[in-house]
Amino acid sequence: MVFSSVLFLFFYLTAVLAIYYAIPFKLRNLFLFIANLAFYGWGEPVFVLLMLFSTVVDYTCGYFIDKYRTRNKRIAKTFLLLSICINLGLLGFFKYAGFISDTLNAIPFLSDILSIPPIEVPLPIGISFYTFQTMSYSIDVYRNDAPIQKNIISFGTYVSLFPQLIAGPIVRYKDVAYQIDHRKETLDNFTNGVKLFCVGLGKKVLIANQMGLMWDLIRESGEVNGWLGSWIGIIGYSFQIYFDFSGYSDMARGLGNMFGFEFLKNFDYPYISKSITEFWRRWHITLGTWFREYVYIPLGGNRVGPMRQTLNLLIVWFLTGFWHGAAYNFILWGLFYGILLIIEKLILKKWLDKLPAAIQHIYTLFFVILGWVLFFFSDMSQLSDYIVNMFSFTGPVIGETALTTTLSYLPLIIIAGIASTPLMFKLYNKVSNTGVKIALDTVYCMAIMTLCTASLVNQSYNPFLYFKF
Amino acid sequence: MKKVLKFMPSIVFLIFIYGMAILFFVLPKDEYSSSEKRYLKQFPEFNSDTFFSGDFGEEFETYLSDHTPYRTFWVGLNSYYNLALGNPLSNGIYHCDNGYLVNDPPEYDRLYTNIDVIAQFAQKTDVPVTMLLAPSTGYIVSDVLPNKEIVYHDDERFEDINKTLTDSGVTFVDIRKEFKDAYASGTQVYYKTDHHWTTHGAYLAYCELADSLDFTALTKDNYNISAYSDFYGTAYSSSGFWMTEPDSIEVWESKNIAQDSITVEITEGSNTDSFDSMFFEERLKEDDKYPVFLDGNHSYTTITNKALKEQGNDKKLLILKDSFAHALTPFLADHYSEIVMVDMRYYKQSITQLMNNKDFDHVLFLYSIDNLGTDTDLAWISMN
Repeated sequence: MVFSSVLFLFFYLTAVLAIYYAIPFKLRNLFLFIANLAFYGWGEPVFVLLMLFSTVVDYTCGYFIDKYRTRNKRIAKTFLLLSICINLGLLGFFKYAGFISDTLNAIPFLSDILSIPPIEVPLPIGISFYTFQTMSYSIDVYRNDAPIQKNIISFGTYVSLFPQLIAGPIVRYKDVAYQIDHRKETLDNFTNGVKLFCVGLGKKVLIANQMGLMWDLIRESGEVNGWLGSWIGIIGYSFQIYFDFSGYSDMARGLGNMFGFEFLKNFDYPYISKSITEFWRRWHITLGTWFREYVYIPLGGNRVGPMRQTLNLLIVWFLTGFWHGAAYNFILWGLFYGILLIIEKLILKKWLDKLPAAIQHIYTLFFVILGWVLFFFSDMSQLSDYIVNMFSFTGPVIGETALTTTLSYLPLIIIAGIASTPLMFKLYNKVSNTGVKIALDTVYCMAIMTLCTASLVNQSYNPFLYFKF
Repeated sequence: MKKVLKFMPSIVFLIFIYGMAILFFVLPKDEYSSSEKRYLKQFPEFNSDTFFSGDFGEEFETYLSDHTPYRTFWVGLNSYYNLALGNPLSNGIYHCDNGYLVNDPPEYDRLYTNIDVIAQFAQKTDVPVTMLLAPSTGYIVSDVLPNKEIVYHDDERFEDINKTLTDSGVTFVDIRKEFKDAYASGTQVYYKTDHHWTTHGAYLAYCELADSLDFTALTKDNYNISAYSDFYGTAYSSSGFWMTEPDSIEVWESKNIAQDSITVEITEGSNTDSFDSMFFEERLKEDDKYPVFLDGNHSYTTITNKALKEQGNDKKLLILKDSFAHALTPFLADHYSEIVMVDMRYYKQSITQLMNNKDFDHVLFLYSIDNLGTDTDLAWISMN
């Protein structure tokens, strides 16, 4: 199930909210656990078993890690490794098995010896997110950074929590450990949640989906788009991916608020960054934190020599790229950032700081946008064709389809550009009158809900023009 | 009071989502959507198989979307919201000036394949072959398009087609200029809310056919013209631009054809029905009134003009066509004692056999460029 759907907005959410607030606090985690499973299993009921398996395994490992942590470090460590292996095993099997078998089969001699059959496994949604969350639990308990969760229902509620189940934010156990059993739902919190949810829904439905349509039209036009057309296309995709992902994170945080949770921010206006380093402090913050905390620092972090540090960075960025998808282009994308960050750290940073702000912005956006080309195309020849088009200045500046499409979407491109900066938020905060502020909030929520419903319903409007001509 | 006001965003949010949920359960559910011309999803079958495969979940979601309260209102709101934001394209239809709703230019990926099929067909037969192609609406009414960057490339295509067909002995009747001139002088040749040509447009095309098919076209005063208002065509239903004014549709009945002279036989599968008029007036009660001509799409239709036959005219014409032919064919009934209309999208029998059985004097291919450019069924004519 996805948030931006008629099913979720008018049926799932209404039912879950009504029951959740009708029952006593003691039962709420149990109910939420069941509601989470219904949410998760909607499209693929079998994967609920996977979720339950994950819950039981990590609950058990956590229990033994805690029990032996002080008495017998080795047993505790064994259970920690077990938990990590099972989580990575699940992720490896469901997400990477096909990719690995394809890769091995592509090596001439090896494929004859091993003769691995091609593996096709359906990818359970959200598995990249929840395996990372459950690993954080085992590690936090092992490090004594978080208390153990003795109640399996409470633990299951954490693992499967529907707001962030599909697309994050990746909530580390220690950040919500206390909230699971002691959160307090208030009307203030609920109202903040509604506002945040509407912001996210608007980002996803009104901006990301439209930018996605524009990107598809330009990309699939089948004609020469010209260098300008190619840049506009990928800028459209850059907006799509940001508003889609950050919109989803905002909706998740908003829904969390409605049920009394408080999740960490996942995006902080990444496109206003003045360096790649800053970009990654503002983009998908919870993933960056996860890799820093559980991979980069354990590898030695900044306390090692420059050679080792460089290697550590490459490892982390290889993994970050690979986490995004089982294909070469994601690895390439990860390493692209790894190398940029190393160059910035070792050489460029000193120079960059002295340049005018505008140059710093242009420098950052240029590489970020180029990065999205790597991120989008999993087919290497399409990828290189697209990059060549972006830098071929001899042909037409912009193709016909690209031009008409750009003209149609121009106002929205400008809106997306403004919405990528904190400008509107700053203006909103300048309003000192609470009455005006409430009125603005209310009108905003109403408008977003109305327009998003219109857009979602339109997706199901399929005139049957079989006999069209 | 102040305290309650603080929660206004929550209040409107909850009223909205619960309101929609309640309306869904309270309002009666339509089975059929007339604007989409399709049956809406019914409540899906629930059993352990459909549940565990996830099919139930998926179909249930379609069911909910299909029955969202005030669905057409939301679709219209979406179209006009996007229009206000500067995007005139809605579900493949441009919102144009003067109330025109025009299809965006499709990818004509089948156009030249189909032209080759026609060329080869003509080379293999002794019967003279003529082709008439209706240009795209956007090409003719280019002055009302939302911006001048939207270009319909009919000119290049018509030149190419003309060359290929002429080389193969097909007479290609090019009506571009006639249509452009008529439009420029204020004649409506295409509907504003539908992709078809108007009856007047069809009449102009008929006049252009006269030379090639060797008849003398009747002048306008030979027809009794009746107009019917409130015609909302397919472009209208696709677009969601509900505030567009409807068209009016005209029926031109030839004064030269006697009351009971015409017989229309429509064959679908093994079933043949007989009618005594080319105009199906009960179709005028629907929003989409174009099927008033020859009852819309059918695989095989014959039109015989008895009076003409009795006068000694036994000319026979075969029309291979899409629905643009429906408005034009009635004009040809003045000149042929028998016309056979075949729609290759539905007709799956041998055209060679049909040609052998009937001694046709002429074959006419009658298509719109939008359909010929995407059609995948015309190739069947080369099958034996």
